[in-house]
Parts: sequence; C-alpha cells; structure tokens
Amino acid sequence: MNMQTDNLKTTRPKRTATEIAIRYGFLALMVGLVIFFSVTTEGFASPYSAVFIFQSVAITGILALGVTATLVVDGFDLSIGSTATSALMLSAYVLVVLEMNAFVAVAACLVMGALVGLINGILIVKFRVPDLLATLGMMFLLIGLQRIPTQGRSIATGMTLPDGRVAEGTFSKAFLALGRHRFDFFIDNLIPVSVIVLLVVGLLVWVFMELTRHGRLMYAIGSNSRAASLAGTNVNRYKVLAYMISGVLASVGGILLAARLGRGDIASGNNLLLDSVAAALIGFAVLGAAKPNAFGTIIGALFIGILLQGLTMMNAPYYTQDFVKGAVLVVALVFTFALSKRGGAH
Amino acid sequence: MKNTAVELVGITKAFGENTVLRGIDLELHAGQVTVLMGANGAGKSTLVKVLCGVHPANAGTIKLYGEAFSPLTPSEAIRSGVVTVHQSINDGVIPDLDVASNLMLDHLAKPGSGFFLNKKKNYAEARKIAAAMALDVDVRQLVSELDLADRQLVAIARAMAHKPKLLILDEPTSSLSATEAKRLFVLLDRLRDSGVAILYISHRMSDIRRISDRIVSMRDGKISGVFEESPLDYEGAVRAMLGHSMTDANIQIQEPGTPIMQMKDIVLQEGATAFSLDLHANEVVAITGLVGSGKSGLANVLFGLSKPHSGEMTLKGAPYNPRSQGQAISAGVFLCPKDRATNAVVQDFDITKNITLPFLARHSLFSFLNFGSEHVTAQNTIADLGIICQSDTDEIGSLSGGNQQKVMVGRWLVEESDLLVLDEPFQGVDIKARRDIGEKIRKTATARATAVMVSEMDEALEIADRIIVMNDQTIVGDHRNENIDLRLVLTQVVGQLNNATGNDEHAN
Amino acid sequence: MTLSRRIFMKIAGSAVALTAGLSPAFAGEMPAPFDNAGDVKIALVRYLSTGDFFQAYLSGVESQAAAIGVDLRIFDSRQDAALQADMVDQAIALGVDGIIIQHGLTEAMQDAAQRAIDAGIKVVAFDVNVENAAIPQVEQSDYLLGKLALEQAIADNGNTWNAGYVYVAGIAPLDRRDVAWQDVKAANPGIKELAMFGTLDNPIANSVANQARSVLQANPSITVMFAPYDEFAKGVKIAVDEAGMTDQVDIYSADISTADISAMREAGSAWAATVATNPAVVGEVSVRTLAMLLAGEETGHNVVVPPTLITQAFLNDNDIKNMADLSANMPQFAHADVSVPAWMPLPKR
Repeated sequence: MNMQTDNLKTTRPKRTATEIAIRYGFLALMVGLVIFFSVTTEGFASPYSAVFIFQSVAITGILALGVTATLVVDGFDLSIGSTATSALMLSAYVLVVLEMNAFVAVAACLVMGALVGLINGILIVKFRVPDLLATLGMMFLLIGLQRIPTQGRSIATGMTLPDGRVAEGTFSKAFLALGRHRFDFFIDNLIPVSVIVLLVVGLLVWVFMELTRHGRLMYAIGSNSRAASLAGTNVNRYKVLAYMISGVLASVGGILLAARLGRGDIASGNNLLLDSVAAALIGFAVLGAAKPNAFGTIIGALFIGILLQGLTMMNAPYYTQDFVKGAVLVVALVFTFALSKRGGAH
Repeated sequence: MKNTAVELVGITKAFGENTVLRGIDLELHAGQVTVLMGANGAGKSTLVKVLCGVHPANAGTIKLYGEAFSPLTPSEAIRSGVVTVHQSINDGVIPDLDVASNLMLDHLAKPGSGFFLNKKKNYAEARKIAAAMALDVDVRQLVSELDLADRQLVAIARAMAHKPKLLILDEPTSSLSATEAKRLFVLLDRLRDSGVAILYISHRMSDIRRISDRIVSMRDGKISGVFEESPLDYEGAVRAMLGHSMTDANIQIQEPGTPIMQMKDIVLQEGATAFSLDLHANEVVAITGLVGSGKSGLANVLFGLSKPHSGEMTLKGAPYNPRSQGQAISAGVFLCPKDRATNAVVQDFDITKNITLPFLARHSLFSFLNFGSEHVTAQNTIADLGIICQSDTDEIGSLSGGNQQKVMVGRWLVEESDLLVLDEPFQGVDIKARRDIGEKIRKTATARATAVMVSEMDEALEIADRIIVMNDQTIVGDHRNENIDLRLVLTQVVGQLNNATGNDEHAN
Repeated sequence: MTLSRRIFMKIAGSAVALTAGLSPAFAGEMPAPFDNAGDVKIALVRYLSTGDFFQAYLSGVESQAAAIGVDLRIFDSRQDAALQADMVDQAIALGVDGIIIQHGLTEAMQDAAQRAIDAGIKVVAFDVNVENAAIPQVEQSDYLLGKLALEQAIADNGNTWNAGYVYVAGIAPLDRRDVAWQDVKAANPGIKELAMFGTLDNPIANSVANQARSVLQANPSITVMFAPYDEFAKGVKIAVDEAGMTDQVDIYSADISTADISAMREAGSAWAATVATNPAVVGEVSVRTLAMLLAGEETGHNVVVPPTLITQAFLNDNDIKNMADLSANMPQFAHADVSVPAWMPLPKR
C-alpha cells in the first residue's frame, strides 16, 4: 500500500514559469544584486571587488562544503566552527610554542580535522547518538579543548607560557603565505591563496559528489538509507567518511584563518558555523536542486558575500547584515521547500 | 435480532490511478465482533482510514445508526462515535504519562475543561473508567512501566471513554503473547455484551477463532466473502481472502536444475520447528503463508539481514554465512525487498540512478561514473520490463506504483545472480505490471535459483514452478505447481488450528 | 553540576592559597586584618573571562593577592548574569571578607552587591556600575583611552583628514570611547568620518577585516582608521595590508597584547599607535582597593587607573617584543600609583 507514491502523475509536466523561476530565480537574483550594487555603489564593479568578495567568503565557503558533505548523507555537523577555530589554535601552537615548521602545522591540523570527523562519525553510527547531539557535544568539547594548552590565552610570538617560558616561535613566512600570498591573474597580486583553495575544494567536492560512485551512494543514503543499505551499500562507512570530509575541510578553513590573522585567537567559531550552514542551505535553492550540492553551496556563500560587501560599501550598520543573511536564507528555504515540487512532495 | 450499527454502500476510493476500494457494501452489527481479513494491499487499511476520517471516500455512503456519516477528520469520527485503536500500541497511549492522565487525556484536551489540573478528581475519574473496564492497574503508574497487554488495554479503555458506537481494532494482538491476548479477549467479550459494534482486523487464525462472530474477507478492493453462519467457515474465509480466480496463468513448469542454495535444519526463531530447503537453478519457487508465518524471516536469513537461530546454509556447495548485505550480494545472492517505499525507492533519484544503485562499481572506472553505460543499462531495463515513462531521467516519484516496482525488480535483474529473492514483489502493483514482472522473472530464471515471497494464491500460481507454504516459522507444504491440490495448500496456509476443530468439511 | 563546580572551586581556591603561602611574606608591617593575612578570604566574581584582557586582569588580581597573602577564591559566571548574582551569594555563604565584582550587568548585580554589603562584606566593583555609595568603582578611563589615541592621530596627521571609524554601539567601553571620538570630531571640523563599520562576529578580526576591505574599496581617500579596540585594529590592519594601502593609512587603537605588539612592529605596519591600560595593573589596583577597605581606609568612590600611550616608534626604539618587555621599559605601564598606602606590599617584578 503506497498511496503517497501512487497518486503522483505519470506524465511529465512541461517546464512551467514557476519551474523556470525555481531553477534560475536565485541566479537571476544574484545577477540583479551585482548590477544594483555596481550602479549605486562606487568602486563595487572592479576586479578587486570581485576578489574581495571571493576572499571574504572563502573560509565560510570551505566550511560550508564540509556541511554539504554531511547534509548529503542526511547528517549535520555542528562542530565545524569549533573544529576550524581548534585548527587555528593548533597551527598557532605548533608554530609558536612548539616552534615547528609550516608543513607540520598544516599536517597536524588536517589530522586533527580527520580525527574529529572520525569521532563524530563513530559517535553517530556506532553509538547511535543523533547527529545534532553528537556534533553539539563535539562543538563544546573543542571550544574547551582549544583553550586548555594555553589556559585560555591567545597564542602569539613572545607570549608567556603557563610555565613561565616565553614562546619564541613565529608564524613562518611559508605559513603566512597561505593567508597573504596573492597570485597574478591579468593584474599583479590579485587572487589570494584562500580563493584558490575554495575553488579547488569546491571542484573536488563537486566531482566527488556528482561524478563518482561514492558520491552517488552518499546521496542514496541521504535520500533513503535503508534502501541504500539493502542495495549493499556500507552506510556506516560512508557516513563516517562524510563527517571526516567535514572535519578536514573545517580544519582547512581554520588553517587559512590562522594564516590570515597571523596569530592563534581563541574563538568559539559559532559565527563561522552559522554562516556556513546558511551558505549550504541557500545552495539547495540554486538551479532548483532541492538537495545539498557543492556548486549551490559556493553560489550560496557568494550570494551572502556580495550582499555584505555591497551593504558595507553603502555604510549599512553591522546589525543589518544579520538581518539580510536571515532574509536571504528564508527566501532560499521557501524556494527549496514550498515552490519546488521535490521539496514539497515529501 | 440484528441491530445494524454501520452500513456502507458502494464505497470507492482511489489514489490517483490506483483504485484501492472498488465499491464496498458492508453492514456491521451492534454487539458483534466482525473480523476483517485481507492480504496486504487488499484495501483493509484504506477501508479503516475511510471509516475513521483519515481519507474521504470518492463515492458511496456510510450510515451510522441510520444517520449519514462522512467524517472529514479523525476527531470528527471520534465525536460521532467511531473510535479506532491502531496497530502500534504506543500510538494509542502516551508512555511518559501515568495511566490516569492517559485515560483522561481526551477530556483534558476538550475545550472548556479548565486550565488547572485537578489531580484528585482525575485519579477518581480514571479509577472509575478502569473499574468499568475491569482494568486492574494502578492509575498512578506510568504507562511506560506497564507491560504490552496492559498498555493495549489502556489504549482500548481510552477509546471506550468516548462511548463508541463502532470500535475498530487494527491488529491489536500483533505484539502480544498468547496469554496477554487472552486478557484482551476477555475485555472484548465484555464490550461486545455491552452492545458495541466491533470491527477487528487480524491475520492470526487463533485470534479469529476465539473472538469472531462473523468474518468478512476482502480481496483486491472488494468484499470477497462474508461468513456468519455458525460454525464459521474459517478456511472459506482464508480462501476468499487469498483468492483464486484461476486467471489464465499460462506457464510452462520447468524441471529443476542443480541445487544452488541448500538450507539444512534451519530454525528461524527459538522454539520454531527446523526445516530444510533446497533451491534449484531453473526453478522459480513461490513461498507463501500468512503474515507472521516466517516468509520475511526466511528472506532476511537468505540475504544476511538476520542469522537463523540454528542450521546451516551452503551456496553452490560452499558454506554461506553472509554478515552483511554487501557480502550477500558479492556472493551472488540478491534481495528485492518488500515495502518498496521504505526499503527500496530512492525518492531523490531518477529512474536511471535507481536502477544502477546496487551495481555502481560496474558503471565506474577508478570510482568515476560512466554515465553512458548507466544510460544503456537503464534503457535496456525500461524496454525489457515495459516501464512506462517519458525518459530514463524521469523522477522515480513520477511513476505509478507498478512501474516503480518494475524499476525496483529491474535493479536486481541487470546483473546475474545465483539466487534471487523477491520479497512481496507484487505488493501494491496493478495486474498488468504484475504479469510483466512475473514474466520477466521467469524468463531470466534459467541460470539461477529464484525465491518469491507472495501473499496471494494467484500470484504463486502465476509465477512458480514450485510452491512452498510456511506457517508458524517453518515449512509445512511443498508442491509442484502442476495439478496442484488447492484445498490442501489452503489448509496448510491456515495451519493445524483449523484441523483441530475438524469442522471445515463444507467447502463452497 | 553545581556541586562539582563547587568542588572545583575549592580545589582551585586551595591551589591559589598554596601559592600564596609560598610567596614572600610582608605580613609583619600590615594593619589588621592583614596581620593574619592567610585568614582573610576574598572572592573575585567574574562576568567576562575569555580573552587576553581578562586573563591578564586575573593574573594581576592573583599576583597582588599573593603579595598580600590573602586567600583568593575565583567565581566565573561566563557571561551569565543570573549565575554571577548567585555566585555573589555563594561567596557570602562562604564567609569571605571581601568581594571584587568584575564586569556584569547593573540590574543583575545591584541587589547582590547590596546583600554582600548587608552581610558586612567589603565590595569593590570593576567596570560595572552597581550604583552603591559604599562600593568603590575601579575603572580604566575609556574616555581617556580614546582621547589620547586621537590626540596622537592629530599630532601625526594634522587636523584635516578622512577617517574610517570602527564602532559597535551598545558595548559600554566602546560607547565611552565613542564620546571621545564625537568630542574630537566636533573640535576639529577638518576630520571627516567617511565610513563607520564594525561587527562582533567571531573571530572578530576576520569579520572586521572583510568589512574594512569593502570600506577601503568604497572610500580610497581614507588616511586614518580609528579602531578603539585591538581586535578591530587587527582586522583593519589585515584589510589595509591586503588592499596594498599600508603606506597610506594609519591605524589608531586602544588596548594592547603581545600579539598586538608584534603586529604594530611588522615592517611598515600601518598600526601607528595604541593607548592602553595594563589589565594586570587594573587587577592589582582592584585587590589593593579592596585591601584598603578591609583595613578601614578611605579609597574614594572612583578609583581610576590612567592609560598610557604606546607608539610604534617607542616599541621599535626599545625593541619591545612582548608585554613583559613593555612593562620593563615603561614604568607607568607596569605599575599605577593608585591605591598604594605605605603598608601595601606590591607584587614582585
């Protein structure tokens, strides 16, 4: 007895105006915004401005790609923000306190990210802790953990350590280059490393999710994990993998953050979490996908970036920014769930 | 004598193109327990949902003691006096509240019942209700601390608080033990004596024998038999439910080939009788039996979803003990599960992606998918099974139930298997799709062993070379599908319970 | 939860007491009750605790308490106003002699502070106005912080320039610094505020950097950025560097930390000057003021710790690398001559 599936039409409807609106509405809205800001705001329409926008969303964008990976398997990772700030602290700790080189710092962060993801995954698939709760726990754990080695202080060269020693290590040139180097692209010193990382990570996640069988199986798990399991998929392994992708990407974001700030700032990373979740959810609406997807996530991040850049240039106060983010998210969710047939059919 | 409580005339109900109820005429009488029997998909649940206000009927009328009754919501049905206790016990009670609160809940929810709780009054009222129902529990106890039977009784007591004219019980004993069920029957006897009309849905022959005054069998959206003369003709009722119109199933019975799957001394559950079973190549075996007879348990054991309590299995002579679905598949044992909506369909995927799901590795090189090869496979499956669609990129949800089921079956036919198990492949499928699927299964069966779990006799006769009957977690019958003695098969389906009475000689 | 926290506090408290016991004793010359300083219990009840400033403040409180030899208990409400009030009550129940209230909300702390006074406990408040005549207010002068930074900006750049201003309204110290900015703007009509921005989105420096870059893009004629909070200044500096405007823009800020020192000292850094009160010194002053109350001495209602101007040139000239160097080279930063009666032992440097 499958009434809910049986009562759907057999014929495929022609592409209606609504469907076109769902598919291209968000992209059109974004183009409209760009035109609007270009006309009204001096200096908005320039290659620098474009790069600024990309750079301002690079870190949240990378985190959002991690969120996307967990959303694909119908999970959720609340710990990405604090994983990122933990990576920020860890890289600073390795460089400044342990006085090791940039390579070690990056490697340590990536390993930590993978480990956090692994633990999240195991909590969820083996101990059956609901995903929101497991990653919430991990979030608090990491917020606390990152403060323990330095007793809650930020890490910077010359700081006095708990044992009275003075930290002599520095953020090495190579590490800082991750946040500060810019590649030439028609104009000298135009594109920062973080933007390249965002684009590369975005491309990798897109390829993995759309073009490989592993991505396909992860989408199957997200849509109907029981069906995927009965089709022979190792559901648990893919779920853990999704959380590990999320953890590693979060730590990549944290590394870039550390390289940009040039010090280890203690921070909860909650804003990073919220912004990246928003980007991933806005991504649902792009091209009417109605599902988590890498391309949409990056567009979602850019959408927020364009809005904030334009508003800041127009001297809009900071509290309008949260309002605008919220409004964009609500509109995107309406696009996804109310207008789209697939979103509404469930 | 007969006091008609409910009268249904010409009730029809369709979901899209799928007609589920095809003109139901039925009377239910006060002070009588009417048992409603029907295989999966016969329309029982839909009929109940029409009665209790979940779905409106497309056509037909319902009268409740002579007055027109067409509830739009469940609460309207309840107010009019039609109360339903659903199969899942915890749907009927709130486990984290005490018995008194549960019994009084509907009063509390009523508008104008006051803002503050009066505990004392509540307890007193609840005790009154409990006493009236001979319910021997402490009303201060949390429902979650009660055993299942008591919970079920509380759920029924709650229902009785509405003073129903018609009480519908949907498989109330499905999670109760025999002794627990006995207590329920005592209560039902009292309710019957008080003049309530009871509609009782069940598959358990023992329940039916104990409680029924009258049996109504449903099949394919229609009433297929009403049995009310004492002694009740249980076997006739089962036959009416499973049906056998001997449609022109024109199949060539095949000789069995080499044994592929050999099961030896398998005990499905603790306490069940051991059985052995060989499944041969070039042979389609239909396994039939009532709900709970062990059909699905057998399918699960074959596919590695559960372990048998004891016994051995060999696949092509080698020991076979799959620990996961993945292992079963790589060993060459495929399962097309029942309940496709929950177990098989990936709603977010199109037809192609649904078809290629289990064998993506064959469509990829270094993990990268070859969309062209997927497309070819999907096209072939669509053509082979006659799946009606616009293109292979249609959303799976846009297909009719029958075509969705073809996709789910087709998914497992694209690769060669040693043993293909299909659990209820004809569930919620129209007759045309059923024929197509059956034909395709038979056509491809030469090199493998095939086991098909079915609940209707027609389905078995249509598809099988050999029919196996299960009852009570073991195999009770094994027949070649040639000149088959249907009476014997049905007797085996119903089980010894019927034989014990020995009064089923008047077959119609 | 509460129980384990209490146990933890006890352990922490006794650990501090132990350190206190080991530190050099000056007890001989001190007035009662400090002739038996080990028996004097004081509590620090905190509202804000995460961040360098609050860590440094705590270390000042700890070192001054150790110098006197009193038993210090620390209660940390982690930005929970109601919990902070409960913690004052816990301290009262514990029988402490004095309480330092560090930050908090006036509405929440007023009654709790009064209950402590009623219980005969001496109370000092830092950076929270509990509106109680019996409670001295220890303050760093935020107005002066802003004022000194802006005076330096005028000394460096003259009184005609285009400014970007980083400000988030509703944060008390920032509001007080804002008064200085408004005053300076009114007095110097040549100073034009082209853009005002700011956010407290965490990590603050990163979020401010994103904003500042947009602002610089829209207003390329800005030459002075007034960022009266070091996290703001850090973000602005990142943006200025990224926009390649390091030579054009000067940043004036408030507060200082080791990381800030290295940022100011980077070659060609745009961060010209900052004005700061040493949070450790404020911590010391808080304890000393409380000690004076306990000894029955007069402290005055407002105890103001004066800020110090720190310029990039000064840091470079003296090769100052961290806060310790800064304290060593700048006596007025290392120690404030506030609440220092003759008998008061000072922390060892």
